[in-house]
Amino acid sequence: MNQKNEKKHQLNVTNVFKDFGDIEVLRNVSFSFNAGQSIAITGPSGSGKSTLLHIIGTLEEPTKGQIKINDTDPFNLSEPELARYRNSVIGFVFQDHHLLPQYSVLENVLIPTLAFKQDPNATQYAEELIIRVGLTDRISHRPSALSGGERQRVAIARALINRPSILLCDEPTGNLDNITSTNIVDLLFEMHKSENNILIVVTHNLELAARFENNLQLVDGVCSDVTMQSDMQS
Amino acid sequence: MQTIWKSARHYWRIHLIVALCTAVATGVLAGALIVGDSMRGSLRDITLDRLGRIQHAIIADHFFSPDIVGRKNMEPAILLNGTVVSADTDSRTSKVNIYGISHTFYELWDDINTPDLIKDTNQPFANVVINEALQKELNVEIGDAIFINLPKSAEIHPDFLLGSRDTADNIQSLRVIVSDIIATEKVGRFSLQPHQSLPRNAYISISVLQKALGQANKINALFTADTEPLASTSIHLSIDALGLKTHVDNNHFDLQSEQYLIEPKFSETALTVATRNGIPTIPTLTYLANTISKNINSNEVKNVPYSTILAIPLDTSKLDVPFDKFNTEENRIGDFDVYLNEWTADDLGAKIGDNIEITYFNVNADEEYITRSTTFALKGIVPIEGIAADPNIIPSFPGIHDTAGLSDWDPPFPFDYSQVRDKDEAYWDDYKSAPKAFIPLKTGKNLWRNRFGDLTAIRMASAPGKDIYETKTLFESEFLKFIEPEEIGFQFLALQEDGLSASKGSTDFGMLFSSLSFFIIFAAATLVSTTFAIGVSQRSREIGILRAVGYKLKKIRQRFLFEGIVITFIGSILGSLLAICYAQLMIIGLKTWWLPAIGTPFIDLYVSGWSLLIGISVTLVIVVFFIRHVVKRLGKAPTVALLSGETDFDEVSRVPKYQNIQVKIVRRMSLYLGLVFGLLAGYFLCTEGWVGFIFLLILCSLLYMILRSKWGSLLTDWTTPKLNNHQNGKQNTLKLDVPTLLLAFGIGTIVGFIFTLLVLAYTDSHILDTIDTVFKHPITRLLGSATSILGIGTFLFSKWLGSQRVPKRLSRLRFGLKNTAWQPIHSNSSVMIMSLACCIIVAVGVNRHDALPETEYAFVADASLPIHHNINSPAGRIELGFTDEDSTLLSQSEILSFRVLPGEDVSCLNLYKPKNPQILGVPAEMILTEPWNTLISTQSDQKISAIGDENSLRWILHHDPNDDFIVQDENGDPLNLQLSTIKNSLFQSQLLISDSNFKKSFPSISGYQFFLIKTPTGLREQTRQILESTLEKYGYDVTSAAERLASFRSVENTYISTFQSLGGLGVLIGTVGIALVMLRNIIERRGELATLRSFGFRLKILFRMLLLESYFILTIGMLIGIAAGLAAIIGSQGHLPSFPWISLTITLLLIYVFGIISNCIAISVALRSPLLSTLKSE
Repeated sequence: MNQKNEKKHQLNVTNVFKDFGDIEVLRNVSFSFNAGQSIAITGPSGSGKSTLLHIIGTLEEPTKGQIKINDTDPFNLSEPELARYRNSVIGFVFQDHHLLPQYSVLENVLIPTLAFKQDPNATQYAEELIIRVGLTDRISHRPSALSGGERQRVAIARALINRPSILLCDEPTGNLDNITSTNIVDLLFEMHKSENNILIVVTHNLELAARFENNLQLVDGVCSDVTMQSDMQS
Repeated sequence: MQTIWKSARHYWRIHLIVALCTAVATGVLAGALIVGDSMRGSLRDITLDRLGRIQHAIIADHFFSPDIVGRKNMEPAILLNGTVVSADTDSRTSKVNIYGISHTFYELWDDINTPDLIKDTNQPFANVVINEALQKELNVEIGDAIFINLPKSAEIHPDFLLGSRDTADNIQSLRVIVSDIIATEKVGRFSLQPHQSLPRNAYISISVLQKALGQANKINALFTADTEPLASTSIHLSIDALGLKTHVDNNHFDLQSEQYLIEPKFSETALTVATRNGIPTIPTLTYLANTISKNINSNEVKNVPYSTILAIPLDTSKLDVPFDKFNTEENRIGDFDVYLNEWTADDLGAKIGDNIEITYFNVNADEEYITRSTTFALKGIVPIEGIAADPNIIPSFPGIHDTAGLSDWDPPFPFDYSQVRDKDEAYWDDYKSAPKAFIPLKTGKNLWRNRFGDLTAIRMASAPGKDIYETKTLFESEFLKFIEPEEIGFQFLALQEDGLSASKGSTDFGMLFSSLSFFIIFAAATLVSTTFAIGVSQRSREIGILRAVGYKLKKIRQRFLFEGIVITFIGSILGSLLAICYAQLMIIGLKTWWLPAIGTPFIDLYVSGWSLLIGISVTLVIVVFFIRHVVKRLGKAPTVALLSGETDFDEVSRVPKYQNIQVKIVRRMSLYLGLVFGLLAGYFLCTEGWVGFIFLLILCSLLYMILRSKWGSLLTDWTTPKLNNHQNGKQNTLKLDVPTLLLAFGIGTIVGFIFTLLVLAYTDSHILDTIDTVFKHPITRLLGSATSILGIGTFLFSKWLGSQRVPKRLSRLRFGLKNTAWQPIHSNSSVMIMSLACCIIVAVGVNRHDALPETEYAFVADASLPIHHNINSPAGRIELGFTDEDSTLLSQSEILSFRVLPGEDVSCLNLYKPKNPQILGVPAEMILTEPWNTLISTQSDQKISAIGDENSLRWILHHDPNDDFIVQDENGDPLNLQLSTIKNSLFQSQLLISDSNFKKSFPSISGYQFFLIKTPTGLREQTRQILESTLEKYGYDVTSAAERLASFRSVENTYISTFQSLGGLGVLIGTVGIALVMLRNIIERRGELATLRSFGFRLKILFRMLLLESYFILTIGMLIGIAAGLAAIIGSQGHLPSFPWISLTITLLLIYVFGIISNCIAISVALRSPLLSTLKSE
């Protein structure tokens, strides 16, 4: 089951604008990434990082511009199609893990599979993911019995359960200490490599951002710089 | 205040819900109280309407001259009960109030048009005015003729030998013309009986009635509008007024009664007074012998027919006949010695020492004539002179005394005219009714005494130093001093005061409806709490900010509390308006759907400021209590959590820190307290039964709570006190929380309870029987079954919620169901409340009896006028006018006849608060069986056994059945009724005593007016028709016994329906509460729901999942409740009785559907707000 995602994923963001009333949050943001690439979005508070992430994650529609994931503009889809699209193409990890306290680790990981007809092998894959995130002995535990880092691991496993093309993480280590943060980021990279998806992480942490192949900096809603890691190193 | 106003405006939606819920609670509570006010107000209005300005009354059970009353401004009247028959249509109405009145009677009511009671000179019959209630039943119009059948006042009691039992002699029929029909209000509603039903009244000119009844210038009631109370001193009694007479003849005077026998209280008083004043007396008893006979030989008997026998003290000679010349020391008069006068001795050829047989009639218990005979030894023959020749020693009685000869006699008893010889006529011509034989008074009393007396005359001679006239005057004045008017049947009634007091009602409808509306009030108060909690949750950041900027927690709490008080106060003011609407709705309900509860749709809306105030105050107290509880939880959440938008205060609550020593002390105290409680529970269960059972129930509740708590960990924690590490890991403390203390208490209780049971069972074997009895009682089984199912159901549910089991495959269905575990406390509470409410609604239905009850008797019958003959006997039926054919048919039925002391209906059909219950005399043949045989025992003359319906005693008379119920006997003396109770019988309107005790205590009440009829099924309708048509004059109404019983049950059924309706309504509102809990859950779970959206869950899917969650809670709660309710019914009754399945199913379905709809709305509202913004806000 642990098959590497061999699809050629592609994300194209073209001239995206986003307004909230009179406030322009994003202005003319454009970039393009392919499968296997990892991107850190940085910038000061209010620069539009999370908004951009939500637009990529199809949670919010851009005011202007276009998003294409694997040549599909999700905002042209109907509401049910969009939901299915999001379910199968996007994986989310939030700063607050948002695990459901009444469910066990395994159940939490399986939750996204319930949105549509469930893959009969979902449980097996979920168990596999849990093993991969290092929570084998916690599989039947409830979130209240887990540490912060463990909860975030569960959230990562949950985000990957439907083998998404893009893994979006919004400050995934915001609530964690340094050691745990490092472990989580390691895990993210590990999973990203094994799944061959596009990993986009929003973070304030420049140290963390430095570990990503690409770094996208937002200032006042404008993408001021998209730097390849190799460029940065040079 | 400004900040509160701004907050109120900003959060207006939530505040509106809080205010509306408070309004509902206030409206329902105050509305229920207003229903009580309306009931009392309406009953009061009826009282004022039916009595007009009448304040006081003197009522007597006999006719009297108004002259004996020394009060002015008294309105005379005759009050009788009778039957009325239309001359044209033959339609009949019984139990009609017949009032003999004059025109001035109407003045007791203001603004009344005086109807015409004066006879039209063109028609020969008197006028009658009837009220509309009677007119509707009779279907007559002005100018129509009607017959009024009235009881005749017989001077000689019909149950006595010389009293007549013939219908013609006991019932006076009067043909009258309807001259006017008045509305059944004011004078048209006049009645002495406080009852909400409309009386059927007929008004006749008092003079016409007096003439018809032969009671010239006599009345039996006086009314006055004066507020000054009437007392016995208002009446100036005279010998005549007592129905007595004194007649002077030469050197003596005789005290006699118009009723032939002198009432025992009069004869005893007369003898006492005479003795005290030195007046010589000869008490005598005269009886009528059918024959005085002597055997000539074995084949021949000589008879003297129809003779008077004088029983007289033969051992003394104060008067003219020297009986004592035979009564020497050597030859004492024996009890069965007889003297004959010379004429009789000659006629019989009797000699001293001969056996003389006297035959005579006695009246048996069934009021039938029985011929008896007694043999005497002839002691002497006396000349016909002095008392032996004095016919005046014998009181006169119509039909015998006033006739020219024996052949003209018209006695009530069977009389064989062929027996009368010429010589007997000659004796009558010479000596009239002078006695022919003399026996000792003691023997005479033994043979002929009855409840009406044992003397017919007391002859008195002059007191020393006084002539006979002075002696008579002295005797009369002294005698009258001993007689109180109450002893001779006068009653002094404060009608207005008693009526208004009775109008307070036997049932407090205010409390009744408050209780019935309990669910609604509780549900509304819970809604207030939940909604307010949601409001507070929404403002958690605001609280966090206030705390962060330095507000004291107390200040924040005060602010929220004040806000809550202001909102709920506004709500309760709104509620007072709602209360009026709710009360009006209930009144409409009482006038229509629940009419059997009040019988007549008389109730109108009365709004009392006090009720509104009480409703507002009580609701405010309850609601503010709930709000305070919510506000108190504010302090439990840390400020940081509040600032981050944390809304679940319980989840982040802080564990209070106590010193370990304090914890140990409190735990130990709980244990000891539990031990004491357990000892008491065990002891009371063994000794007091029920008290112990209540203790046991509390014990079970405790056990349940312990099981519901995290008992495993608690037990571990208790046995091996474990240090609890807090997050900071620095401070180690022992836990001190409610479950721990309950556990300690529970362990103590169990140990104490088992210990007591073992010790007491070892020392006393009867204790096991007591415990067995308690546990076999239907109530125990009801409570036990219900609580078991409720307990097990909710326990299993809570265990399921806490289950850690990981499923093999996670389905969307399971996912939805498992969501209920998100807030286990909320889910548990919702299930528990729902199940308890449904259980009560279902279990209350056990008391409903919709099917016609099965009764031993086919019919119950009432007669307006007493029947003196035994309908069970062929002779009695002939006397009552049944044809031979009808008599043969009736012989297949068994009819039990009861004497009736008039009084108030004490059943639930009477809304007024009765004081003087109707009393029935249970016939001897019925007393042979249980439970009536308890009536046999008699403690003393003033304490007798009685039976009453337990519910009537407890709830209508408001009397503890364990205490004696005191009534007045005929002499006005207190009569203690030692009560046994029955339930659900036909006798819910009366109290029962044995017929023999009835005759002793109320001797003047003659005949039977209440009947139970057992008849073969196929003959029922025929039997009913025969009885009603033949006994029409008596106002004989036959009702199906099952229907009579059903009418009692209908009240109970209506209360149950009301409870089920209002309870159902309460549960409906309760389902809104569950919906609000769901709303609150969703608000608190917005982050998670947003996450699910981000995973591709569509809103429709989320909606379905959340709905499934509320379905599940609703369904589980209702299923547990229904199962517990049914278990309660089966547990108490052993089977499922006939049951209002349809109405109950509809109620439960309504609750379910309403619950789902309200949950749909709540979920829709919650999901309408953009969930995804929650993710971004983080």
